Amino acid sequence: MELKLIHFYPDLMSLYGSYANLLALRRCLEALGNTVTVQRVLPGEELDLDGADFLFMGAGTERAQKAALADFARYGEAVKFAANKDVSMLFAGTAMELLGQSIVDNTGKTWDGIGLMKFTSTQGKRRIVEDVLGHTDLFEEPVVGFVNKCSVITGVETPLLTSLTLGFGNEAPLGSEGCRFRNVLGSELTGPILVKNPRLLDSVVDAIYARHGEPVPADRPHDHWAEDGYRITAEELAKRVK
Amino acid sequence: MRKFLAILVCKLGRFVGKLIGKGSSMPGKAALKICPDILSRVQLPPHVIAVTGSNGKTSTVEMIAAILRADGRTVVYNEEGSNQIEGVTTLILTHATMTGRVKADVLLIESDERYAAKSFKFFHPTEFVITNLYRDQLTRNGHPEWVYDAILPALHPDTKLLLNADDPLSSCFAQGRKAVKWFGLDKCAISTDAPTGAYHDGSYCPICHAPMEYDYVHYNHIGAYRCTRCGHRKMETDYTATSLDLEQGVLTLDGEATIQLAFRSIYNVYNILAAYALCRECGVSSDVICKVVNHYILKNGRMQTFTLGRRHGTLLTSKHENSIAYDTNLRYITSTKQDCAVLVIVDAVSRKYFTSETSWLWDIDFDLLNCDYVKKVVLSGQYCNDLAERFSYTALPADRWSVQPDIAAAAAELAEDGDEELYVVTCFSDRDKLLCHVQKEG
Repeated sequence: MELKLIHFYPDLMSLYGSYANLLALRRCLEALGNTVTVQRVLPGEELDLDGADFLFMGAGTERAQKAALADFARYGEAVKFAANKDVSMLFAGTAMELLGQSIVDNTGKTWDGIGLMKFTSTQGKRRIVEDVLGHTDLFEEPVVGFVNKCSVITGVETPLLTSLTLGFGNEAPLGSEGCRFRNVLGSELTGPILVKNPRLLDSVVDAIYARHGEPVPADRPHDHWAEDGYRITAEELAKRVK
Repeated sequence: MRKFLAILVCKLGRFVGKLIGKGSSMPGKAALKICPDILSRVQLPPHVIAVTGSNGKTSTVEMIAAILRADGRTVVYNEEGSNQIEGVTTLILTHATMTGRVKADVLLIESDERYAAKSFKFFHPTEFVITNLYRDQLTRNGHPEWVYDAILPALHPDTKLLLNADDPLSSCFAQGRKAVKWFGLDKCAISTDAPTGAYHDGSYCPICHAPMEYDYVHYNHIGAYRCTRCGHRKMETDYTATSLDLEQGVLTLDGEATIQLAFRSIYNVYNILAAYALCRECGVSSDVICKVVNHYILKNGRMQTFTLGRRHGTLLTSKHENSIAYDTNLRYITSTKQDCAVLVIVDAVSRKYFTSETSWLWDIDFDLLNCDYVKKVVLSGQYCNDLAERFSYTALPADRWSVQPDIAAAAAELAEDGDEELYVVTCFSDRDKLLCHVQKEG
């Protein structure tokens, strides 16, 4: 297949190694025999989302997030249309907050999100920084990651991680984390999350193939460094739960 | 009475702590419990100098102290690096008389950037040096703008700031202030046209978040920047490194003072420049400064030479979670232009427990090692898989790097194999795990 991945604001929204999510997906898709192009979108640039197979935006500072939102807002309807057409997406870190109804910054000012989902992010003056181990309904293995945020997110109806055994979720310790709508994934987890969780990467690949009505080749690429890294991380975090 | 008691307890605690080898923050902590506002009740020296920033605090403070002492001043400073309020309290009270007068000409404080506001709640520095502000220990610092917001309340209106004109973010501290002096490095042989590194949000304007333009860049996003949207730009410098030849190790300050660098790293240049600017502001002559910093070898142990088998080695201490520190050391390795092997160790990111946070590895520009001089790279430590995953995305040929989880085995392998120079890049928390397998020099 010929696949197009869109990377929104790769420089502005580049905290916590976010860009590696896209590198991992690209390498995996190419190893499966696809021709992959990555289109970088800078603020102010024109973009047609038609034909996009994956949309991605990474984490940014709270101020960078507002600068990204100022540009991204014009794509709101197109992103929602694509989401309803089962286009795969990942919005990592503070980028996830753009998908919701609104963001309230630490001065109390409210910013409108694109409203793909009905949650609200409230940014405070306390940094929430901790390891996370949780469960997703997408696959059996636990998800590992690290949260580094100042937001409490309320009103998520369909979280990416339905429960946590370690760490702070959207709005509480051991609560649910992230958001999910069809093939759209949002998560405040860094890692980068697709690198640290090979099964989550698989599930994104599966969704891209499913949308094209193609079966995923049985012989998936095996990234043993990522697999070994995941295994150690999951084991070590599980010890902390005990 | 509480003041007297707090000073007494602190002095006694420090005396006992030294005997039993305990850290220097506990006595201050006890004193603060007895008298929470003790720091507003002491009589400080005429110069209270603070130094903070993401990188270079300890080295800059060490050089400032050496220069000021050479100029005949008595200086007290937190040599042991306890740079939060408890350590600062210990420093001040142990050098105070029982009536609370600090017996020195200069009180010099290395201050933790996140907790500076707390340290300077009851007194304020006369001069405040901010070396730079960029991604560093994001698990405790969040991100650079978060740290900026934390430092801002620590800057008293009466304090004179000494700022790095080449750093777009820390330069913002000058907004609305008059008492600011700038230091910076002119264009030189190492300068590039555009920002370098694995990420580029630092080259977006910290005020309006538009992409900035650069006349030249010294490393990563540090250089002569200007925002075409809001006008934020590199300021004219008061203290300037007017020429730099890192290959020869020669630095010229303000066109006249020539310094031979003991360590040919851009970090060392900025640390010297910051110390120079501060000391000139305090009235020290350029001659005295040059005599001290010429061939100056830092005593903080961040660089250690050794032998391992037939190899001569250099350990370059980089803080884990500080990608620019890593980049700078990687750049130093390749700048030596000699065949070498490189050992990268990431064994403990947190001293307390295993953490899944390895995203900072993606911020490091490991592609810097993709040059002919670097013959092999060995990745070691508990996080070797995460390191290997990161390396698998570099352009380094797969036969140029390998993984050995066990640090002792990695050292043994390198001891038996080859005689090129060996560079070890790791953090304070992991350095001794290698040093116990080598013969240290000096």
